[in-house]
Amino acid sequence: MISVKNLSHSYSHDDKLAVNNISFEIEKGETFGFLGPSGAGKSTTQGILTGLLKQQEGEVIVAGYNVKKVQNERFNKIGVSFEQSNVYSKLTAKENLDYYAKLFDVPTRDSMELLHLVGLDGKENDRAGEFSKGMKHRLTFARSMLNNPELWFLDEPTTGLDPAIAATIKDIIREQAAKGTTSFLTTHNMYIADELCDRVAFIIDGEIKLIDTPKNLKLQYGRKLIDIEYIENGKVVKETLKTVTEEDRRRIGEIVNNHDIQTMHSKEATLEEIFIQVTGRELV
Amino acid sequence: MLSKIFKVFSRELKTARRDSMAILIIVMPVLFAFGITLFTPGLNDTTVNIALLESDDKSHIEYLEQFAKVEIFENREDVLTRVNKRDDMAAIMQKGDGYEIILQGNEPEIVEGYAKALNALYEIGANKEETTAAMYSFGHTVSPLKTMLVNMLISMTIMLSGMLIAISIVGEKADNTINAINVTPVSQTSFVIGKSMMGGLIAMVSIIISLFITGYYDINWFMIILVGLTSLILSLVVGFVQGLASDDVIEAAANVKMIMIPIAGSIVGYELLADKWQWTMYWSPFYWAYKANKLVLTKTADWPTILLCTGMVLVLSLVVYFLAKPKIREGLS
Repeated sequence: MISVKNLSHSYSHDDKLAVNNISFEIEKGETFGFLGPSGAGKSTTQGILTGLLKQQEGEVIVAGYNVKKVQNERFNKIGVSFEQSNVYSKLTAKENLDYYAKLFDVPTRDSMELLHLVGLDGKENDRAGEFSKGMKHRLTFARSMLNNPELWFLDEPTTGLDPAIAATIKDIIREQAAKGTTSFLTTHNMYIADELCDRVAFIIDGEIKLIDTPKNLKLQYGRKLIDIEYIENGKVVKETLKTVTEEDRRRIGEIVNNHDIQTMHSKEATLEEIFIQVTGRELV
Repeated sequence: MLSKIFKVFSRELKTARRDSMAILIIVMPVLFAFGITLFTPGLNDTTVNIALLESDDKSHIEYLEQFAKVEIFENREDVLTRVNKRDDMAAIMQKGDGYEIILQGNEPEIVEGYAKALNALYEIGANKEETTAAMYSFGHTVSPLKTMLVNMLISMTIMLSGMLIAISIVGEKADNTINAINVTPVSQTSFVIGKSMMGGLIAMVSIIISLFITGYYDINWFMIILVGLTSLILSLVVGFVQGLASDDVIEAAANVKMIMIPIAGSIVGYELLADKWQWTMYWSPFYWAYKANKLVLTKTADWPTILLCTGMVLVLSLVVYFLAKPKIREGLS
């Protein structure tokens, strides 16, 4: 569904590259996570894939179209949910969706059904300008589904949403994936990526450091850890130790035998910890 | 493509209807047209008003009615009350064998002189058919001042259409909706045309309504619409450029108002420059538009001249459009 070969991009048209020679492929029906901290090159890559940024170097095929050529009809197959909400504040929620629905050349979903799906039923006649940030974000998300996209770009789909709504959004993404929609999910939230993505790519400083499934990454980089809180000299001390290294196992024994244990929890390495381990950088 | 243009246009109209600034811009030319209609009769009316008594000689009343606006009163008191009102009025009443002319005192000399001369001509029995002068007329049936004001109103309306576009673009930027449109099957060209149609249609409707309000019913409407549409191009281009360069509505409106400078310069140039210096204004599309509109409003226009003027407007506007095109494209990306 997406094929990217040797893609590079510079905003200043010099050797300062926002995206540096990246290549990847996304299969039809796959949910692909593009993960990295702010300024890593995620939005630049998505901008090029969606045609919002002009492609400079490399080859990019999206939904069968070469993005270098202007072919607006490709957007009949594509849906884009932006990180920053972008709806007409002077139109109502329903008017916003109905307007965009008319711009597509393919059958579109009912605006009321979509508003219900994202929890905005009852707000259909309220102007979007009166909406909270989260409501605008949901309306933007709903709009991206209007044309039943084969390929769905999701930029930080749950940012700024309360946990209940975020869970609803994640369920919708899962349902779409089950229906065969290909998703390109850009986020710095590793938990969402872990929950939703078939494969993830770690991008930092414009370069892709690795691409794999979350499961493989955990197997390859994850080490089982134990968090122990114990009392030493009247103070609570916390240590995180690996269960797979001899030294740490000995240390666990020492603590258990010689100290008063307050809490002890075993845990798997998270995708975030793996990201830090692989890239040496935090997801800020 | 046409259906998408129409959808963008419909949405633009709906949004404009809900924007108080846009409403003000739409209504303003109509209000100005009412203003012109209310005030220009007072500015241009050269008819002399004469107050007479009901008891006056019938032949005297009929004679004066041919050359002045005559008002009849029952008694002398009413005549004097009328003369003392704010407008210019001369009362002519019999006194002994002759007449007396009563004035408030602040009338132009011409009113006094006209009243005197008119009454003297009646007294000697002069008849207008007896004149030896031959009549020629330029055929101007509307006052030059009114024509100039209405023509300026048309120019202002054209400028306001650019302001509407600029406000609309600023609104799109504030709502971040340009990106959203760019990921739909709507081409940038359809988007620009749809948006321009909103500004253009509102301006054309405002111009037509204003011309009706100001009494220009029997002009050549094809010509006025042709001139209007070609003049709109430049204003719309300026609207797009300034809208994309501005961060808020006030800044956009202020930037578009800068276009008033060449508009005002073109009007002043056309009206005040000697014929031998008129060429110095040929660079301005507003000059050609103003000239064409004036010819249409005074009903002295012919198609070759109108086509020349609109051709010049079109060429000059297209030059500006092609210069601004990369900036517009970049701004809408």
